[in-house]
Amino acid sequence: MKRKVARVLLTTAAVVAVTAGLGAFASAEGESIRLVNGKIEIDSQLKKLAEMYKEETGVEVVIESMGGGIDIQGTLKGYYQGDNMPDIFVNGGATDFANWEGLLVDMSDQEWASDTDAAYVNEEGTIGFPYTTEAVGLAYNADILEKAGIDPATLTSPDAIKAAFETIDGMKADLGIDAVVGYCAEVVNLYWSTGNHVFANYIDGGLDRDDTTYIDLLNDGGQLDMDRFTKFAEFVGLLNQYSDPALLVSGTYDQQILNFASGKYAFVTQGSWIGATMTSTDAEAYEAAGSFKCGMIPYAFEDGMDTILTNSPSWWAVYKDGNVEAAEAFLQWLTTDAAQEVLVMEAGFVSPFKSCAYVANDPFAQTITDYQSAGKTSAWHWLNMKEGLAQNATGQVFGMYAQGQLDAAGFADAMQSVIADYYAN
Amino acid sequence: MNTNSANKKLVSIICLVAGIALALIALVQDITGSGASWRGAALIIGAVAILLGLYLFPTLKYHRRIINFIFVFPLLFTFGVTVIIPLCLGVFYSFSDWNGIKMTQMVGISNYTSMFKDPAFLWSVLITILFVVFNMILVNVVAFLLALLCTQKMKGVSFFRAAYFLPNLIGGIVLGYVWQFVFNNVLIKFTNNISLLASTGSAFACIIVVYIWQYAGYIMLIYVTGLTQVPKDVLEASQIDGANAVTTLFKIKIPMIAATITICTFLTLTSAFKQFDVNMALTNGAGAVTGFMGKFLTNGTQMLALNIYNTAISKNSYALGQAKAILFFVLLALVSIIQVSISNKKEVEM
Repeated sequence: MKRKVARVLLTTAAVVAVTAGLGAFASAEGESIRLVNGKIEIDSQLKKLAEMYKEETGVEVVIESMGGGIDIQGTLKGYYQGDNMPDIFVNGGATDFANWEGLLVDMSDQEWASDTDAAYVNEEGTIGFPYTTEAVGLAYNADILEKAGIDPATLTSPDAIKAAFETIDGMKADLGIDAVVGYCAEVVNLYWSTGNHVFANYIDGGLDRDDTTYIDLLNDGGQLDMDRFTKFAEFVGLLNQYSDPALLVSGTYDQQILNFASGKYAFVTQGSWIGATMTSTDAEAYEAAGSFKCGMIPYAFEDGMDTILTNSPSWWAVYKDGNVEAAEAFLQWLTTDAAQEVLVMEAGFVSPFKSCAYVANDPFAQTITDYQSAGKTSAWHWLNMKEGLAQNATGQVFGMYAQGQLDAAGFADAMQSVIADYYAN
Repeated sequence: MNTNSANKKLVSIICLVAGIALALIALVQDITGSGASWRGAALIIGAVAILLGLYLFPTLKYHRRIINFIFVFPLLFTFGVTVIIPLCLGVFYSFSDWNGIKMTQMVGISNYTSMFKDPAFLWSVLITILFVVFNMILVNVVAFLLALLCTQKMKGVSFFRAAYFLPNLIGGIVLGYVWQFVFNNVLIKFTNNISLLASTGSAFACIIVVYIWQYAGYIMLIYVTGLTQVPKDVLEASQIDGANAVTTLFKIKIPMIAATITICTFLTLTSAFKQFDVNMALTNGAGAVTGFMGKFLTNGTQMLALNIYNTAISKNSYALGQAKAILFFVLLALVSIIQVSISNKKEVEM
């Protein structure tokens, strides 16, 4: 009897296994591709696009969004080891692309490749599809500058910026603001803002898009050009001095954006991506503050710096062993008019494609377009820094400078020694 | 009887052969990277067929052993797949230049030598040991005092027991963020706008405080159990002899719960060693250290587990992180072996 029971159990197990196997086989028949997206804030827009695409072509696109501090490359490596790779996935720069050397598809034969300058190209070919443009600059509240009688176009030298800061600081009560700048050098959660985006200005500020002088120097054993960096350090000192003390050392990203959206700061040290937050999460405060116009000035730590840093913040790459054809077709479709409308008008992207006629309703879209058409942009070579530099090294030094534990010269020295050690280990 | 046995033998051998064949085909398919989606099912059916064949195999001598094996097999298999194989792979990878995706060459012991030359790593080892020492003492003292309070005869004792235990039910990450808010947004009003988390020393103290807050309630419960098991007759006898509360505590209660103290000490020791989540959520290892081995360090509060994680994930050096993890494993294994041998001795003594 017992044996019979065991036999029945074992047979059932076998049947279940076969059915499961056949089930998996059946579901694989409809064509589908999977996209790992690194911008969780546009998850719903991408899902909408996936639906549109399915209606048009019948191909199912599965959107898998990651964000909110998840280590995307780490997760992707897990997928790779588990033989569960997506067909399209996000890559943030040279170090990310180097991880996948030999595993990505060269898309230079695609139509969109000739429609943009923002694709990721290296010796393997065109391996990154750009989907938006982001800008790093010193964002300002145009209404406040106007009231203070300052023309942002003149702020292209450290002296001019210093004078403007002083003027605004003297009129704080009249302007109804808390502080001149919302600069936050908190080290635990905001290291990426200081260590990546503010530091990016040392690497690229005022340079031509293809000028790699300072990133090359940095990647050659972690060297800094002390002359340039000292000027940069003094400029950061200016930010420390005029920042909101409640925010400077231990603030959060949310506070920083909310206060700027509420019109409490004249400047904020964040890039164009805050526009999306200002018009969604913080929309109420932004409207209450009069939906003021926004713009950007350069971090002009040297005289005559008049560029902001714009780039595709990350790229989508196609995995060689995935469903290459369907993935490429989907990316090509994303550059069509219908798809661009969703990406630009709903997701607030600044399209990197020349054929796109839409301009987003985003507070910073206009200023980016202006700088781009004037040719006053520099690139984001900080994407090529050694992985984890901001988190493990530079963010901390910005924090110490903000706390007053270091002066400008000490900041520059500490930075030099920390970066050199980081590159050595 | 004979025909039955012969039939059985036939069925058994067919099952075994078919099972092995199926499993082999599935494995070959897997290794050659075939996309056939039935190979998973084939592997499972193969495995089941092998087990069935073994079960039906007509032998009296080994039948019991076969049955034992079949019952133990699922657990052994799972243990092998989830623990033994990754451990072996981990040791292997620690001698290579693996980056999480592929490896190009073996690098010998250079991962092991380079980590001892890295002041940041040595600092992590140092503060982990400091953290363990502080916590082993403080958690046990606090927990023991709480346990004494919670074994008194007074109203609402069970409420206090539950209240002290509650923080242990909150996940470390959540707890870290909650306390980060407390330090950065509430306590900052009393500390002159400079957060306690901003400087290395006070941030380290913060982690210790949060950790005690989280862990003392759990250890307290173990002490409570120990204290309630002290025989009543001994306590009464001491009262008759005129012992006051302090004498009772030091001469009766503490000696009677010596075994509990050993257990709690090692529990706090191993868990403090493995501290990761609170560390990550509260400070993420940040903190400046000047002049440690002549270097300027930026990982002032980064303990060993977090250092390993950051080495692998954020610095993208999986092989080096793996080597550090092996060292971590050896350290923890040593601690555990010492713990087991000491508690065994105690048991003999009691």
